[in-house]
Amino acid sequence: MDESSFEYLRSEELGEDALLLINSAIYDGERLMFVISTDLNKKSRYAVNYFAATDTAVYSVDEVGGSERVQYDEIARAYVKRDYGNAIFITEDADGGRRNFIRFSYKTAPLFDAAAQFCETMAKGDTGIYEAIGIVEAALERRRGYCPKCGRALPRPGAECIYCQSKHKLVGKVAKYILPHKYVLLVCLLLSGITTATAMLPPYMTKTLVDDVLPHGDKNGLGTVVIILIFAYVLQYGIGLCRSYMLRVVGDKIVRDLRSDVYRRAQFLPMKFYDKTSTGSVINRVSGDTSTIQSFMLRVTQEVVVQAFTLVGIVVIMMAMNWRLTLLSLIPVPFVVVGARIFGKKIRPYYRKIWRRWSAVTSILTDSLPGIRVVKSFTNEREATENFDRYNDEWLKTDVRSARITIAFPQIVSFLITMGSLLIWAIGGRLVIEDPTFITAGDLVAFISYTSMFYAPVTFFANFNDSYQSALAAAERILDIIDAEPENNAGEGKKLDHMDGRIEFRHVTFSFDRSKKALSDINFVIEPGDIVGIVGTTGSGKSTIVNLLMRFYDGYDGQILMDGVDIREIDMEYYRRQIGYVQQEPMMFHDTIFNNISYGTPEADVDAVIHAADVANAHGFIARMPDAYDTVLGERGTGLSGGERQRISIARAVLKNPSVLFFDEATASVDSETESQISAAIERLISGRTTIMIAHRLSTLRRANKIIVVDHGEILEMGTPEELLARGGKYKRLCEIQAMSDRVNRDREKERFD
Amino acid sequence: MEENEHTEEARERIYINGDEARFERVDITTVDVHFFDGRVIKGLEPRRLFPMTGVSRYITLLDENGDEAAIIRNLDALPEREREVVSACLDEYYHIPRVTRITGRSEKFGVTKFFCETDRGPCTIELRNIVHQIKLTYGIRVLFLDNDDNRYEIPDIRRLDKKSRALLDDYL
Repeated sequence: MDESSFEYLRSEELGEDALLLINSAIYDGERLMFVISTDLNKKSRYAVNYFAATDTAVYSVDEVGGSERVQYDEIARAYVKRDYGNAIFITEDADGGRRNFIRFSYKTAPLFDAAAQFCETMAKGDTGIYEAIGIVEAALERRRGYCPKCGRALPRPGAECIYCQSKHKLVGKVAKYILPHKYVLLVCLLLSGITTATAMLPPYMTKTLVDDVLPHGDKNGLGTVVIILIFAYVLQYGIGLCRSYMLRVVGDKIVRDLRSDVYRRAQFLPMKFYDKTSTGSVINRVSGDTSTIQSFMLRVTQEVVVQAFTLVGIVVIMMAMNWRLTLLSLIPVPFVVVGARIFGKKIRPYYRKIWRRWSAVTSILTDSLPGIRVVKSFTNEREATENFDRYNDEWLKTDVRSARITIAFPQIVSFLITMGSLLIWAIGGRLVIEDPTFITAGDLVAFISYTSMFYAPVTFFANFNDSYQSALAAAERILDIIDAEPENNAGEGKKLDHMDGRIEFRHVTFSFDRSKKALSDINFVIEPGDIVGIVGTTGSGKSTIVNLLMRFYDGYDGQILMDGVDIREIDMEYYRRQIGYVQQEPMMFHDTIFNNISYGTPEADVDAVIHAADVANAHGFIARMPDAYDTVLGERGTGLSGGERQRISIARAVLKNPSVLFFDEATASVDSETESQISAAIERLISGRTTIMIAHRLSTLRRANKIIVVDHGEILEMGTPEELLARGGKYKRLCEIQAMSDRVNRDREKERFD
Repeated sequence: MEENEHTEEARERIYINGDEARFERVDITTVDVHFFDGRVIKGLEPRRLFPMTGVSRYITLLDENGDEAAIIRNLDALPEREREVVSACLDEYYHIPRVTRITGRSEKFGVTKFFCETDRGPCTIELRNIVHQIKLTYGIRVLFLDNDDNRYEIPDIRRLDKKSRALLDDYL
């Protein structure tokens, strides 16, 4: 770093007052290196406080200028203690004396992690300050990797956010689904113009009938009028039929595209999205919300134009017939329009509420039906039903409440329209009686017909708000998926010539949320071909290491390198294709055994699949099944034992021919005999490949040449099994406990069979 | 795993049901517990086992390794002084501002912001996913989890003023 040009770093822009507060706290002659603004004071109240670091000490400065100072040479340890909803930066002196230095919310916690590292580096004194400041600079850079407006990850630090560029308007967002069908929609529009114009004819014909044909007994005229009307109706309904069919096809295509898009996006969403979102609510969006938006789009592109056209056409005809009566018939319009606005405001929250309740109902369905074995085994059918009923009743209550508004509004509108028609009958009828030259009976009948036609578009626009609100609520939820941050694939297109399988963790720190660290400063190197066992207690962070290696989560600090390249910079699809991943509870799909094995390798031929099943010790039991490889598995692999499912998942990995293998408790839930079969399959598979095995049973790790012991998210021990046993630490204790447990089990089995 | 499970089995859980121990606060979130039978356990951090649904019941006391030393069954059953000591630690540990008023709301760039007054001062709650980050429990209590995993609560929405209620109602 160029020291002469260094200007202090800051987490936020600092005003003059803030700088004054900070500078008045700092000792003379000290040089300000960085400032982190916090949002809480020590009493846990919202206030802007500052953490300032100079070349000699760190300071906490509160909102009124009060400050604390600790010199680096007084610090033995500095760390961030994460409490609930807030965190504290703590320093410890050589005697273990603790100082709660500054408090902050989770928003700034990652910066303080870097600050703690900085303080410890400075305390050690073996690194120059400009090298140490790089830790904080990197943390600030990572923060710049998120959009300050919406908080989503940016394509690169400082880049413009692709989500905030657009206006996020509903029409703009959904327009792309309509555009491919624009020509068909234009034809439909043209056809609807013809049908609308044709629909204007019958009332005029009625006038002719009443005024000219019937009073004069004109039979020819009657025939002509009837023929014209038949022609008009054939045209109207014939064209209407064609148009409806075309619109249905277009509508179906739009909903198909929308569903596909939502589903495709959902596939590429990161695991953290699914950690917080129930699958039921995603299913609800793919199924229900897409249809709501589709019908809304058709209303916008077709009905709005048609109804507006009808409205204008009728008003022109009515004005030409009698402008006074026309004005009378317009009286209810303001009431309808104002009512629609009030209705819209009232109904929108209800649509959201109904959706939330319905989403809860579908979540129960998607949870409980696949887990029906558990429900039955705990004889929990009645409770499950009651639970479902409770949520279903909640939905009912909300829906009934909204029905009061949705049902009442159209009825009120219809009532107002009927009153308008009665008004015209009353006044128009009086005029016909008193002065037939001013308005004829035929004019009045035609006028009433036009009036009822006029109110159709008025009602449409009054109710349009309803479907608009409904579509708006649906669009919000759809855009929640479509606009959600996909998995980061910054390295798209970047592939390694060959993946040897050298894995390196460099200072990796990770938390699923900001409240607790799942991994802290993890460092290790795995050489190509190594077989590495990761052991530790439940929740120690073993699976998290594999989750990060699989790139299920990308938001960690530090680096994970594969063959010397940061895995975040490698093409995601290529990277995952090089990895075989066998889980504790392998997922089977509702498909044949053959397709379940070739899942992820669809191009594999039959010989390859059979060979893979053979290597995985699965071919034997598959061949004995009546439908063998054509056996269709139930949901989640129903029909197979746990061990059989596991061997099929190993066959999947064999078929993939990966460079690197991860086994996450692959033999944890099977009996000893099955374990030995699976272990034999694993041993065949792993030969010559870099392998990481997370194992509950240490016996599974007998081929491992390196063991990593993890506890509370940190590496406790690392080395060959022999080294760790000789060290007499945690690994040795685990081995002893395991040996004891195995001995007890063997004795029990012996007793049982003797 | 094995080791912990064995330990769990071997150890009998200590419940503190009432006036059985004296609590000395040694740090902002830490206490020493002096049992009246002579045992002393130092450096324990009180934490709620039910931080959402039972703020004063089942308070676990964890040592610095995160292992449980004892459980206070009901905070309200402790003598006043002991209750205050433990409550003070809990108040420091749990930062869940209580929203007293919502002064405004904005929706921009897919982020919904609630401008609030809380018992800990004014703050802005930023939410990217209104469907999942606002939860209504028991029909009256609202919990927010913001984009940075900070928590906020409204203990009883019926006690909010009309404007606050209107700003919130659209999302419940």
